[in-house]
Amino acid sequence: MKTISYVIQDPLGLHARPAGHLAKAAMAWKDCDIKITANDKTVDAKRIMGVMQLGAKGGNTLTLTISGGEEDKAAAALEEFLKANL
Amino acid sequence: MGFFDKLFGKQEEKIEIAAPVAGEAVPVTEVNDPTFSEEILGKGIAIRPTGNEVVAPCDGTVEMMFDTGHAVSLTSSQGAEVLIHIGLETVSLKGKHYTTHAANGDQVKKGQLLISFDRDAIAADGYDTITPIVICNSDSFAQVECHTGAVKAGDTVLTLSK
Repeated sequence: MKTISYVIQDPLGLHARPAGHLAKAAMAWKDCDIKITANDKTVDAKRIMGVMQLGAKGGNTLTLTISGGEEDKAAAALEEFLKANL
Repeated sequence: MGFFDKLFGKQEEKIEIAAPVAGEAVPVTEVNDPTFSEEILGKGIAIRPTGNEVVAPCDGTVEMMFDTGHAVSLTSSQGAEVLIHIGLETVSLKGKHYTTHAANGDQVKKGQLLISFDRDAIAADGYDTITPIVICNSDSFAQVECHTGAVKAGDTVLTLSK
């Protein structure tokens, strides 16, 4: 299992657009189970509605746990995604 | 055909999602934001609103009322995950021109007021008020059928089949 933590830099937070793109980025890793935790809530990263429900804002910490499949590659790709988009 | 097949047969598999606001329903591909037009958030439709109130498009549960009031998501009692996004880039208004009337976890009935918004003020601030209504779990449905044209709140705009 791989864990990534990332503090959201975008002051607008994890609103609809980034939530959709993040879920899509997670869906690319079909063999990985990916969970996101923020504000004591944990959701399936591949479920758009779940990711939106986190209500994560700028300054909040997202913690991703990735297990199975090519988890090392998935973790690296998702970390890049977070840095580029949030 | 057994009793339960009759109760839960093919006809029952269709889920109807109503217009949350009056206006002109257009294909989501006409929305000037690739997140919606490329269906990143799911398949759906968009309404160019003529009204100032967003009501529940179906019976269901409010999953995420954005505290900015610019968007709301619901899970319908039949399992469709619906996102209503009032205007484009309107997250940047940080709640200005929007008033919320429901909260996360609320059970709502079709037609119940969720958000009121000042359409003219949003437009005057330079934002496109087009309102996409998308099904975030589109992959769970074999078909998402759109009904375009002039609509009143409560008219069916999407029919989902499993």
